[in-house]
Amino acid sequence: MLGRSLLLFGAFLVFLFSASPVILSFIGSIVPDQAIFSYPPNWFGYGVTLDNYRYIFTGELPTVYQAEGANRSMISDAARQVPRALFNSMIVSGSVALINLLLGGPAAYAYARMRFRGRRATFIGLIMAPLVPSAALIVPYYLLVQQFGLLGTKLSMILIHSIMTLPFTTLILSVFFGRIPDELEDAALVDGCTPLQSFLRIFVPLVRPSLLATGLFAFMLSYSEFLFAHALGGSSDSRLLPVVMAALARNTDVSWGLLNASIFIAVVPSLLLVIVVWRFVVEGLLAGSVKG
Amino acid sequence: MTRRANTEYLWVLPVLIPVFLFTLYPVAHALWKSLHRSQVLLPGEPFVGLANYASLLNDSTIWASLRNTLGFTLVAAPITVVVGLGVAYLLLANYPGRIYVRSVVLLPWALPGAITAVIWIWVFHPSWGLLNHGLRLAGIIDRNLQWLTQPDLARFAVAVAHIWAQFPFAAVLMLAALSSIDSTLYSAAAIDGANAWQRFRFVTLPQISTMIAVLTVYETLVAVTSYDVTYAMTGGGPGSATTLLAFQIWKQSFSMLNFGNGAALAFLTALLSLIFIALILWAIPAELFRTDDE
Amino acid sequence: MALHLKHLVRVAVVLALALASFGVAQTDIDFAVWNYSLDIVQDNIEKFESENPDVDVTLNDYTWPDYHDTMVLRFRGNNAPDTLYVGQDWLPAWASAGWLAPFDEACPDLTQYAADAANYAVNDMTYQDQLYGLPYYADTISFLYNGAILEEHGIAVPETWDDVLQASLQLKEAGMDHPFVYEYGQELPNFFDAFVAQVYGRGGDMFDEDLNPVFNDPENAAFQHLQWLQEAVTEHDIMELVPHETDVIRTMNTGQHAFSVVYNYVLAAMNEEATQPRAGEFALALMPGEAHQTLGFAKFYSISQAATNDADKREAACQFIEYMGGGDYSIATRWAAENGLGFAQLPLFEDPAVRDAWNDWIDVDLLREQVASARTGTWTEWTSIWSAYFRPLLAQAMVGESTVEEAMNSGAARWIEYRETVRGN
Repeated sequence: MLGRSLLLFGAFLVFLFSASPVILSFIGSIVPDQAIFSYPPNWFGYGVTLDNYRYIFTGELPTVYQAEGANRSMISDAARQVPRALFNSMIVSGSVALINLLLGGPAAYAYARMRFRGRRATFIGLIMAPLVPSAALIVPYYLLVQQFGLLGTKLSMILIHSIMTLPFTTLILSVFFGRIPDELEDAALVDGCTPLQSFLRIFVPLVRPSLLATGLFAFMLSYSEFLFAHALGGSSDSRLLPVVMAALARNTDVSWGLLNASIFIAVVPSLLLVIVVWRFVVEGLLAGSVKG
Repeated sequence: MTRRANTEYLWVLPVLIPVFLFTLYPVAHALWKSLHRSQVLLPGEPFVGLANYASLLNDSTIWASLRNTLGFTLVAAPITVVVGLGVAYLLLANYPGRIYVRSVVLLPWALPGAITAVIWIWVFHPSWGLLNHGLRLAGIIDRNLQWLTQPDLARFAVAVAHIWAQFPFAAVLMLAALSSIDSTLYSAAAIDGANAWQRFRFVTLPQISTMIAVLTVYETLVAVTSYDVTYAMTGGGPGSATTLLAFQIWKQSFSMLNFGNGAALAFLTALLSLIFIALILWAIPAELFRTDDE
Repeated sequence: MALHLKHLVRVAVVLALALASFGVAQTDIDFAVWNYSLDIVQDNIEKFESENPDVDVTLNDYTWPDYHDTMVLRFRGNNAPDTLYVGQDWLPAWASAGWLAPFDEACPDLTQYAADAANYAVNDMTYQDQLYGLPYYADTISFLYNGAILEEHGIAVPETWDDVLQASLQLKEAGMDHPFVYEYGQELPNFFDAFVAQVYGRGGDMFDEDLNPVFNDPENAAFQHLQWLQEAVTEHDIMELVPHETDVIRTMNTGQHAFSVVYNYVLAAMNEEATQPRAGEFALALMPGEAHQTLGFAKFYSISQAATNDADKREAACQFIEYMGGGDYSIATRWAAENGLGFAQLPLFEDPAVRDAWNDWIDVDLLREQVASARTGTWTEWTSIWSAYFRPLLAQAMVGESTVEEAMNSGAARWIEYRETVRGN
């Protein structure tokens, strides 16, 4: 009984820890700034409004600004870049996740289950690749991307984010592939399967939830990466979400409500995606992907 | 085992070629800079040997950053892994409302660092922060605590924000590792009369130790090389209380316009990561090379 | 007659547009800005383009905290913008690195506008006696107070830093936790600028004529002011330290604080009816201290050296800079009226549109007095990198994690070191 209440309490804590900041930003986006900064706190005493959302999607100024001669120092056009940036980020991060699975999956399989000359050395090299902090690599990456004429393109971001994530996804997936019992592989070989066939028909289905989880990892890493997205980014048309969000978070001309509306808009699509993919992952894992 | 004509390489080269190509040039470029005086205010880029490295090692702010990075990493990385493991158990367990917990648990992961910082500043803000409000309501404090400007509180605040942003990933991988454990092992342990702790210690732990090692390595690398949340919350302050090495790399290069020092510091940081990784792999039994070359 | 003229103009415009699209080659220039009120920047560009159909301006925007670093990256990466915003603290380093072009060489026609600008602004836009910019905006760092709170407690507007302390202690006595809100962002240049402004208020100096540091002398106003700040934080506990100027706006608007030191446009935001619960309560006072002086500064439009390699580009860039920062000052007027941005062009103080808009949130005559006595900063090639080193020391000393003496001495030593490296003496 004690264990059970402890479990429920823990679950409650984790729920609160994970979700409340986002719930907060939703509240912040629909109540006027005056309410949030009122003291003592009176968050819901000023009514609620969807003006901030309307401004972001249509450009129509919030009602409070429509008065003649109103000072407009707290309403930023940058917020209107959020929907576009969201779209760009989805494309880039989706591609990064796909590339990671298509290239990282086979490589991880090879490292986990095959023997070949240089296997250990290249694997260690792969793990060492992300060791030098990217802050020192910005200038050469900039020169490189500029040389290829790719500055400010989604392609360059897909490329760089893939380079950043591939070592980790390969490492993680090799752990999953390595855990599968040898007998399964032996059976496949006896049946005359080529390595490709046994990979596709036996291994991939077995680790599918873990593959999805790893793809999710690549997606999220790309979705929240700021340094390269900012330094190699271009005009507002191709800009990625973290860059726009950083601008909103730190510029002086953004009201609290507008910032929170932007945060919420940025969170919702990833939340939906997470719920869909995550369901497959959890259900797949719970169904017991490997039974001895 | 039948020998095929090296087709194994076709499996790994699509990863190795782009990763090595796009890592070697930037790293070589940085290495070159680290051995030259590359300061925007001074003409030319003469070779200076290890002078950049020496000047960093003589700089007390660099040593302070090193101490902070060590402390931050030693706290943040293991806690993230442990929280991840706990949350993974929670995701496996059966209780009413677990669907909600499962749905939101990955949320923190999807937010860029700048936004994570905004949200946690809202929590820790001395004047209108939620934490101070809450503590006041509960009667625990009667004066606002300076969460972001008192050194120890600031270190605590940035560690919480960092762990918040990182734990979902750990939870996902731990969940995957836990669910791949052969359930017959537990039945056997139950027959032997093992209690919950013994089952964890002698069945679960050995089965997930590789994943724990991999995760700890990853979280260590993240803690050593990332600074965006910390920087946005405290600017590294007060003074150098929350200044991390990775941020110093950026600052040396772009604020102090000394790209030679920035690059040299990057290699010192890489060395630190390397030492961490070696220690982790030595301490945690991992089977990264299960079917090893003889 | 009037109708005829209108008709003629219309025909002329159509012809001009046709010529523009078929005959005249387009000149592309790009323009790098930090993204403050981007829609207004974009709108200004469109107006410029409709008056100059042969020029096409591409806008690149970056966040303010990343702007300096991004420009360094672009200059280092051989991808310099043609025209850009520049800050007073960066000019010497950027000009000496050969990244920016002086107007004498690039846009000789624009040097005339210096005559209209405030002294500190001209100084900020000048490096080695050459002008490098026209003002985008200029501002002073000001001392602000909540008038309603002072009135309620019968406190006079402070004249000296001791007055500030006494008033704060009185408010604290009356139950206010931290009467003074201080922008404590050690990675932001403003953190150092605000400190200098307060030192100027006391009539002090950071450096002497020969660029020797004097702030580490215990008799010096800078030394004493850091001492004051440290005691305000550690001993009297009257300071609310917030990370960013946007926090100053929010924090002051909780109505739990009485004083702050920030830019005037922050005061405009604090007094904005639309979003701020305490709008209208905040007012400007002269910077406390015997001298009542403060730091004035300008942000400005410059042309890069790279843009001067192509005669058409150079021409177009000069035209654009003149439109934005010169001419009839309509753009500066717009920034002032709509956003409360300060201006370097002194004639604007007489402009009814500006006065009207500003009267809503600031005492214009008092501001004029403050601007008249505002002093410029000490901007050398190494000031901004030295400031990046010094700010954490300042921050550390403020919260009592080091002594004032330690901070000031190691700041002075580093200043001399940089000076010797760059100038050789």
